[in-house]
Formats: sequence, structure tokens, C-alpha cells
Amino acid sequence: MSVAIIIVVISFLLDALVSNHIGYTLTDPSIFKTIFTIVSLVSIYPYFNNDKKYLYILIVTGILFDIIYTGTFLFVTLIFVIIYFVNKFLDFFLPFNLLNINILSIVSIYIYHIISFIILNLVKYNSYNINLLFNIIVHSIIGTIIYTTVIYFILRYIYNKLNIKQIR
Amino acid sequence: MFRNKKKIEGKYIIIVVVILVIAALVIYAKTLKEDRKLNMVESLIKDSVTFVEKIVLTPFNYVSNLIDDFTELRNVREENEKLKTSIERIDAIETENIELRKEIEALKEELNIDYVLTDYEYLNATVISRNIGYWYNTLTIDKGSKSGIEEGMVVVNSTGLIGKIIRTTTFTSEVRLITTSDTNNKISVSISNGNNKVNGLINGYDYENNLLEVEGISNTEEVNVGDYVYTSGLGGVFPSGILIGTVESITTDEYDLAKIINVKPSADFNDINYVAILKRKDIEE
Repeated sequence: MSVAIIIVVISFLLDALVSNHIGYTLTDPSIFKTIFTIVSLVSIYPYFNNDKKYLYILIVTGILFDIIYTGTFLFVTLIFVIIYFVNKFLDFFLPFNLLNINILSIVSIYIYHIISFIILNLVKYNSYNINLLFNIIVHSIIGTIIYTTVIYFILRYIYNKLNIKQIR
Repeated sequence: MFRNKKKIEGKYIIIVVVILVIAALVIYAKTLKEDRKLNMVESLIKDSVTFVEKIVLTPFNYVSNLIDDFTELRNVREENEKLKTSIERIDAIETENIELRKEIEALKEELNIDYVLTDYEYLNATVISRNIGYWYNTLTIDKGSKSGIEEGMVVVNSTGLIGKIIRTTTFTSEVRLITTSDTNNKISVSISNGNNKVNGLINGYDYENNLLEVEGISNTEEVNVGDYVYTSGLGGVFPSGILIGTVESITTDEYDLAKIINVKPSADFNDINYVAILKRKDIEE
């Protein structure tokens, strides 16, 4: 489990690091921008046979994301839990391989953006239009694929080396 | 394939997701108010993680700054010549400044303005992370309440207005950018065209064209493309005289009664590494 936690921690810090060096505004999103924390959580999921342990990591990460990056209270945590349930559902139909893990990552990033967009428009702000959402989700595809692929190979290499098939 | 997969009924997943979305909506509506303060535990966690982040980011920022410095070296000779000319004028500028300060004091009394830009001192800070949640339009900076920063303080950089402090911990603060389309945060502005000055309100932000929308200006007022837009000081949040941008285009509302001014922000919100927080000189730390 420690490998999975290290991957999530590195991704969490990577979110801060990358935000300082590439375009991050809603007006001009970079094609290499994604939410590394979400991608890492999706990528480690197939290695967990114990959903409780996975949920524990997911919720703690969500709470930290809430406190440190968005200043919200349990909002991102809930989105992460929604992503977990959707992935759990899709995981049944999709065998574990590079293509499918990429699909799950992209779906998860889309869920994050779509829910944020809907709730922000309903609750607080009034002028995010749908084109903005499309622009952001289109721009996040390349970054998501690159990072998911990198993590997929890193995890596979490490777990093969350690001869670990699943986290119980 | 590693997991022992168990089929879950789609309808249960949909029910759970819908419940979670509703919960998120309720929680968000309740808690994401601008004045929501982080509690002690949250502040402690944020300070600790930000400290780790700063350590991790330092070598990367160092390399990035080195590259920037190397690029800037090419222009050093030209800049040096400019600076030499400026130094020769410094005495004359200082004398002019003394006179201007007197004039400002006289005008403040006459116009009944409490604070102008000269009543503030600058507290420099470095940006630690920028808008990670994507939809929140915030920056995290490395100065907090320990440095005397308070909620509501104004944040600028060398090119103009950036935003204001919305949340502080002991060692960090969060800045909400002026590009946030929040109807609760209208900024009063003055559009300056030589001797002519017109007041309006920033009412929104056009994300597609990167333009701030200024409203509340009568169609009879004269405003031209290229005019400078500053904070007016009305409303008490932002001091007067901070550059926001320049007028990019002018349209009218649906009744043809009022102007809608599109303003190009002077600050590049994609490239903010250092900021300054305006702190009133009469506030003791």
C-alpha cells in the first residue's frame, strides 16, 4: 500500500508544482494540465482488492485537497467518492489494461469538471458558460493520457518487481 | 487484472451518485462563502503541507528562475542605459513627489476620500500554487496572518490589480482573482481619459475573450478605446488609483441607455509568481 500512497502524495505535490509553471486559468488552459491527484487515485484503484483501504486513502486525499487547494469543506471529497462509485461500476465492464485505465482517468476528470461546473453555476457564480466547460475538458485529455500512462507503467514495474498482485 | 470483480447494480450506483451530488450541493451552498474561515486544525494542516510544498518546489523554482535570469541577461545592457538616465532624474522626481504628496492630502480632504494608494505599504509575497481546483480562481501565497495579512487586503503585482485576500492561515493566504465572476464582489472603477473621469462597476468577466465587463456608465458619457481603467476607491475595499487595464471595446445595453465597457486586464493571470499585498500604514502589526 505504501507504493500507492507515495504515488498519490507525489501527484498531490505535482498539482502545486505544475500550476506554477504552465497555464492554469479558465481562459487559457494548457493542454498538459490535468488534475494529477485524481489520475493517481484512479490509477491505483485496480491494485486494491480491499475497497475500505482504498476509500480511506481517497477520503484523506479528498479532505487534504479541500483544505489546501480549494478552501472548501468536504466538497472535493464528495466528488472523489462519486468518482470512486462510477469507477467501481465501470471497472466491472472494463478489463485492466492501459486503454481502459486511460478511459477511467478521462471519465473521472470529466466528472470532476462537470460536477464543479454545475454546482458552481447553481450555488455561487452566474457566468460560466458551457463552452468554457467544453474547452477545459477538451484541453485536459492530453495531460490526463500522458500522466495515466506514466503512472500505469511505473506501478506495473514496481508491483512486478515486488511481486505484488493486489493490495489486500 | 488484479481485482476480484463483483457486479454492482447500475441503479444503486446511480442512486448513490445522485445522493452524493445533492450532498455536495448542500455542503457547497453552506460552506463556500467567502468569509468561511479555516478552523484551527485546517489551518495547521494547510500550514504544514504548504511548508512541505515550499521545500519541494524550491529547487524547481530555483532552476526556473535561473532560466529566466539567463534570458533576461541579454537585455541587461539596454536596461542599464535606461537606469542611468533614470538615476539622473531621481532628485527632480523626489522634489516633485513631495509636492504631489501635499496636493494628495489637500485633495483627500476636499473630496472626502479616506485612503489613497500612498497610504499603503507593500508586503511582498511569493505564489506557492495557482488555481489547482481550476474553478476557484485563487492563488496561494507564502505570507499569512503572522506577517500581518488580513482578509480583504488588496493584492497587486507590477502590472496592476490581481485580487484580494479571502482566507488566511498563520503562514499562508489565499487570493481571489478579479477575474472571478462573483456578483457579490463588484469592483468600483474609474475610467480616465485625460481630464475626463467616469465611474462604473466591474460586473463580470468574459472567459472566452479575457475581458472584464464594466457597467453602470451612461451612454452620454465619453469613453474611448485605449482609456485607462483604475480602481475608484469607492466602496472602501480597493484603494483608488490601482491600474486594472485598458478599454478594449465599447458596446451598449439592450435599451441603448448604458455603455458596457470591455476592459483588457493589465495583469497576465497566467504568469504571476510574485505579488504585493497592500497594507494600510496606520494598521499596527
